[in-house]
Amino acid sequence: MDQTEVPHVNVASSRLQSVIEALSYASVDEFDSCLALLQLSQEKDEFSELETAFAIFVRELGEAKAELNRALTQQEAANRELEAKLETIEMQQAAIRELSTPIIEVWAGVLCLPVVGVVDSQRSAEMTETLLETIVSKQARMAIVDITGIDVMDTKTADHFIKMARAVRLLGAECIVSGINPGIAQTLTHIGVDLTGVRTLRSLRDALQLYLRETEQLVVQQKTHFARRENEI
Amino acid sequence: MNRKAFPILGRSEVVTVSSRAGRMARDFGFDARRAMEVAIVVSELASNIVKHGIRGEIVLTLDPDSPPQGEITVEAHDVGPPIRDLKLAMIDGNDDQGPIDPALILRRGGLGTGLGAVARLADRLEYRDEEGGKTITARFYRR
Repeated sequence: MDQTEVPHVNVASSRLQSVIEALSYASVDEFDSCLALLQLSQEKDEFSELETAFAIFVRELGEAKAELNRALTQQEAANRELEAKLETIEMQQAAIRELSTPIIEVWAGVLCLPVVGVVDSQRSAEMTETLLETIVSKQARMAIVDITGIDVMDTKTADHFIKMARAVRLLGAECIVSGINPGIAQTLTHIGVDLTGVRTLRSLRDALQLYLRETEQLVVQQKTHFARRENEI
Repeated sequence: MNRKAFPILGRSEVVTVSSRAGRMARDFGFDARRAMEVAIVVSELASNIVKHGIRGEIVLTLDPDSPPQGEITVEAHDVGPPIRDLKLAMIDGNDDQGPIDPALILRRGGLGTGLGAVARLADRLEYRDEEGGKTITARFYRR
């Protein structure tokens, strides 16, 4: 009974089929194939209105998706760029840390710490720690701290440098401070730093020469020692 | 008047900002020695921001008109705990709670002489507590 009161629309099953197919295309983001299917039907009836509305939705959905994809690609590119930048910053930070206390093994058992740039209390504390650790790990016999590049130091920081030299002696190595400039020399004597047991030389070159001379003497001494023993035998 | 703010995010800014400050001081007419002193003070204050502050910035102001012959001010502003006792903290080997245990000095990264160095090198040192932070200002007079 009810069925007679509701108006029916007759649709060819092929049209219905093509709408279903179009839907399945749309569901997998194949918007172009979907629209091509929908435009096939030329008839003008109530069902075709549904088809047109459907086509409009699909077109808009397709455009929105394409826009979203473009934005996503841009975002990804920006992210990659940002990550690359972060990596650079991390590398630079590591480089700065390393460069702030560059310890070079200039000769077997001889470490050199060239100090350049701004020396503040924190950096001098870091230098002490790194130098002492390296002396132990490399079994160094001598450390040359070259401060040619430093014009100004706070009095307490300068005092700490001399303390660093004493700490090196405690580890059984010798510490030479080279390249002290007139300003720092005045600072050190002004605050009355005890300089006993700290060797100071004019330049890094003098320090290296001293080391070579001393080790040469050592070799000569050993040679004469062995020669004497051979004579005794 | 030339005013520049540098955010301090980590150790690398301590290095870059202090060397920048040294250059600016030289351009302002400071001799090499005084310019290096400005750089050391910036380095100490920036190190303190990294160590004690949560975040902060260094503001450099080069004022040629300040009497008598112009001055450079280094403002270190940070969001972090206040210095409880400035007089105590300025004594070498102390922090704001008193003498630092010598065994801890190296481990805490520094000598405890930073603020002392700032006071020795700058012509004037000012401290101001602020809402949720503090500002330390060091002044250098152009001579």
